[in-house]
Order: sequence, then C-alpha cells, then structure tokens
Amino acid sequence: MLSIRNLHASISNKEILKGIDLSIPSGQVHAVMGPNGSGKSTLSYVLAGRAGYDVTEGSVTFNDMDLLKLSTEERAAAGVFLAMQYPVEIPGVTNMMFLKTALNAIRKAHGESELDAMQMLKLLRSKAKDIGLSEEMLKRAVNVGFSGGEKKRNEVLQMAVLEPKLCILDETDSGLDIDALKIVADGVNALRSPDRSMIVITHYQRLLDYIAPDAVHVLAQGKIRKSGGAELARELEEKGYADYGCEAA
Amino acid sequence: MTLAAFIDRSRKDKEDWKYTDLNALLFSSFPRKRESIASDSEHKSQLPSNYSDCSADNRARLVFLNGVWQPTLSHFATVPSCILMGDLESGYELTLGEQTCLVAQPIELVFVTDNDAPHEIDLKFFIDIGANGRLTLLENHRASNAITTIETDISLRPHAKFVHGKIVQGGAHLATAKAHVATGGYYNNFSLLRGGMPIRNEIDVILEGEEAQAALNGVMLLRRAEHADTTTHLLHQAPQCASRQVYKTVLDGKSRGVFQGEITVAPDAQKSDGYQLSRALLLSDQAEMDAKPQLEIFADDVKCSHGSAIGCLDEDALFYLRSRGLDEASARALLIKAFVTETLEEIQIEEWRVLFRREIETWTDAQTAREKK
Ligand SMILES: Nc1ncnc2c1ncn2[C@@H]1O[C@H](COP(=O)(O)OP(=O)(O)OP(=O)(O)O)[C@@H](O)[C@H]1O
Ligand SMILES: [Mg+2]
Repeated sequence: MLSIRNLHASISNKEILKGIDLSIPSGQVHAVMGPNGSGKSTLSYVLAGRAGYDVTEGSVTFNDMDLLKLSTEERAAAGVFLAMQYPVEIPGVTNMMFLKTALNAIRKAHGESELDAMQMLKLLRSKAKDIGLSEEMLKRAVNVGFSGGEKKRNEVLQMAVLEPKLCILDETDSGLDIDALKIVADGVNALRSPDRSMIVITHYQRLLDYIAPDAVHVLAQGKIRKSGGAELARELEEKGYADYGCEAA
Repeated sequence: MTLAAFIDRSRKDKEDWKYTDLNALLFSSFPRKRESIASDSEHKSQLPSNYSDCSADNRARLVFLNGVWQPTLSHFATVPSCILMGDLESGYELTLGEQTCLVAQPIELVFVTDNDAPHEIDLKFFIDIGANGRLTLLENHRASNAITTIETDISLRPHAKFVHGKIVQGGAHLATAKAHVATGGYYNNFSLLRGGMPIRNEIDVILEGEEAQAALNGVMLLRRAEHADTTTHLLHQAPQCASRQVYKTVLDGKSRGVFQGEITVAPDAQKSDGYQLSRALLLSDQAEMDAKPQLEIFADDVKCSHGSAIGCLDEDALFYLRSRGLDEASARALLIKAFVTETLEEIQIEEWRVLFRREIETWTDAQTAREKK
C-alpha cells in the first residue's frame, strides 16, 4: 500500500508539487492524468528518489516504510520501479549486462542468491520474447539507437524481470503503435497481482481500455484535483482539462 | 634517448611539451622508495614472484630485468630464439624476414625491475618487419622504481602488419615510438597507461606508401597526482592512406591527462582518410585534462575529422542504474567501464581485449573500493 500525504516538492526552489494526496492499496492500478507540465513526471521522480527534487513538506509511506528516507537503490530494492517517460541511453553497457546486474543487485538486497549466467540467459530470453523484443536487442547497448517504442518496451521488460512491488509507468504508452500497445498492456496486466500496486500516467483513454484502472486521478497545477472511476478518463477525453483551470491540452 | 635528452627536447620544443613538465623528474624524490611500491597492493610485487602468474601458459615471453634481457627467464614457445638480438647498450633488434608470420604467436616483452635497478633505464628497440611479414608484440612494463625511457624505431616493409600493444603499470616512463609504414602496411598500436610519475607516450607514424594504414588506440587511467601524456603525430605522406585514433582517459583525484594528436596530410597525399577521437571522463573536480587535436591538411581531396570531449559521469545514467537497484559505487564503476569499452572494441586480438579489460577492471574495482570506504 502506497500512501502519499500532502506532498510538496520543488525543483531549484520552484514549487512543482503543491500538496499531493494519493493512496493506492495493494493490488490496485491507479491512472494519473493531467495536462503537460502539471507535475506527473515530477511526482514519479520524487517517488523514485531522483536527486534535484526537494521535498519540502509531506510524507510518502510504502508498505510501512518511509520512502523519502531511502536512497534511490534502496527504494528499488524495496520494490519501487519507474518506467521512465524518457528512458536513458547507456552506451557501452549491453541490455543483457544491465538487466543481469540489476536483477542480481536486487536479489542480493533481498538476501537471495545471484543467478548464474545460464539461468539469467534463460530468464531474460523468455521475458524478452513475451514483450516482443528480439534477442538481438538484448545484445545492444541499453536504449542506444532504440526506436521510441522499443525504448518503452524495454522499460516494461525491465519491470517484468525485476518484478517490483510498486510500478510507476510514466507515459509508457506514448509513441507505441496499436500492436505494441497491446503487447505492453499484456505485459503490465500479467504483472497485476494482489501484492503489487501500479500508477499509470497517461494522456490517453486508449491505454485504459487495455489496462482497466481501479481509479483515475486528475493532476493539475501540482495537486490532485479530482478522483473517480474509469468514466473520469472518458470524460477527460471529451472535455479536456478546461474544468481544472487549464487550457485544453 | 636518455632522460637528459628528453628534457633537452622539452626545453627546445615548448609547444609540444606545454602540458608535461619533466623538470620535476630532475629534483623530485623519484624514484620512490622501494618499500612504498611493495606496500602498494595494486602493484604486483617485483620479480621473480610477480612473474609466477605468467609461467602457466605457453605464450612467448621475453623478460627484461632492469633493462637487461634475461634469456634464461624467457620463454620462447614456438618463436625462434634468434628473434631478438642486441643488448641494453646498443639497443635490441627484432627482425622479421619477408613473409614471416608470427601473429598466431604473440610475443610479450615483460619489463621488471628489482632492488639493483639503476636510477634510470634507457631502452632502445629496432623493429623491422619484412614485406608481408606479420608480428604481434605486447610490451608489458611493470610498475617500476626506475625512470624508464624507451625509444622504438619501427619499419614496416610493403604489406607488413604490426600489432603493437603496450601496458604501463606506473612509474616514470618516457617513450617515443616512430613507425615508418610502406605501401599497404598496417601499424596498430594500443596503449594502456596507468599510474604515471609522469608518463609520456609519443607515437609518430609516417604513412609512406600508398594504402598504408594506422590505427592508434589507448586508455589512460589516472588518479591521485598521476600524470600521463599521449602525444601522436600522424603523417599522411602518400595517397590513399587511412588512419584511425580513439583515445579514452579516466581521471580521478588531482591527476592530469594530456592528449595531443596531430594529423598532417602532405600535398601529394590525396584521398587520405584520417579520424581522431579523444574523450576524457573526469571523476573529480580537481582532475584536469588537456586535449589538443591538430589537423594540418595540404591536400584537397581528403576526408579528415577529429573530435574531443571532456565530461563527467552522466547523472541521468547514474540515476537510471540506481533506480534499477545498483548501488552508487557499482553504477559508477559500470559507467567507467562502459566509457572505455568503445576503445577496447578497437582491439582485434581477443586475448588482448580480455587482458586489457581485466587491467581496467582491476583499476575501477580499486577505485570503487576506495569510494565505498
Ligand atoms: N529541471 C527542471 N528545472 C526547472 N523546471 C523544471 C525542471 N523539470 C521540470 N520542471 C518544470 O516542472 C513542471 C512539471 O514538469 P513535469 O515533467 O513533472 O510535467 P508532466 O506533468 O510530466 O508533463 P508532460 O505531460 O509534458 O510529461 C513543468 O513546468 C516543468 O517545466
Ligand atoms: Mg511527464
């Protein structure tokens, strides 16, 4: 269970998050929608623990842990995973090496034994196949020269491999063609489980046709302005964000 | 060339020695006390114990103790023992006849010092490879408490191929290698420089015959107050020659790295293809890198490019790795290794790639251990 209370955060002294309240019970998927620049990515970075984001007020607890006290890697070990809006390219590190190092680091933090090369290869191959990434993509440098859609799939692949407890998907659907969207949604749905919570940030109702959310929240100007069921997403699709003090996005 | 001769040159050609000052060597407390070397766990202890790790396999190895060749400690494998002639005084000669091919059998030259080492060791090598000959040679300079100078003259006859590797593990090391490459010849140099009290590694290549080629690559790994300088001069004298250079430098502490790379294309050298890249990674804000690429082109139909970049570890990449569970030190180590990987890929000999990668990993792992403390 994730519980965000009155969260305020600033970037270089400019307040972006202005008192976010959001609770996501275990097993639920919540969609967060909102106009450009409203603070969706900022929220996800604050949850993942990126440097440069100052929390000035409020609290975040996840499964009874004070998330804000943990380093980025401790949060990852605690099960936080952010599928980034703009995945980073890492020349010189193969996707295979990256996944292997990450999984073993997390297993180690959980007191589990590291997987040997054969076990790892088998696991990665099968997960990559599920998400529609070829083996060749595993051998390439992380995200280097990947198309926009391939990068997003790669994020979901990492998520499937690391099996986190809190999945934050920041516009993972943007830039995906219809077929890829289905594959990614299948990947996400396969991860739905009673002990896993998900935040799905999106601009499009379309994704929510495939990933049925338990709740939808509107984030505008740094605050959750409205919460509701799946119908709220359809309403936003029709009316835009004009009701929330913003121009239509 | 002796230290005195190097210093003399450095005083005459100030531009070429702008970033590396040898005067300090005259007065410094160098050579370091032996104890301090022995206590530095990263440097393997000196001969003969440091040699034990080498005797296991069947590689051809010629051992030089304090600059003096030691036939009894050397291992020739299938290489004819007459391959090396000469002595420290007059210089060593390595001559390969026409059509002779020794690529399958790389030769390693191991340079070690012991307690009887003089203050300065001045080495000279003459390497001559006959037409269509092939030679693969690795110079391995163990951390030394003597000042080492090494002058290497290389002649590659038509279509000869020479793969020349070099590892310097620390100490004061001043080197000039000059390679004359005839028609269709190929000179490949890969240098891994660690430590540096200081190191100056000069490589001059003259592409004398048509379609001659050169590939120069290297990695410099520096920390503390170490100083290493790679200076290359590439002269395209004949038409249709190609040269390629990729150098990477990683600097921590108060270390200083220098890369000076000059490509000159003579008026007749049409259709020359020259490429040069120098990239440096600064791990500390007190480290310094000076990069001076230089192109002098006197022909009109050429393709030449160079690039140089100095940067820090990519914060976005660090965050990305950490958000996937890697601790900060491991994330940094992974990115440092990734940074030099591009250069390692230029090495065509698998065995060497493994060897160089291991050297680099030893360095980054020691670096990581230091950070974790
Ligand atoms: N490093 C930064 N420095 C200054 N302002 C920033 C920085 N990063 C983000 N911002 C500002 O914070 C605000 C929120 O940005 P954020 O990326 O969270 O928006 P978003 O809701 O994810 O938008 P989008 O839908 O376009 O992805 C924006 O006004 C943005 O310009
Ligand atoms: Mg965003």
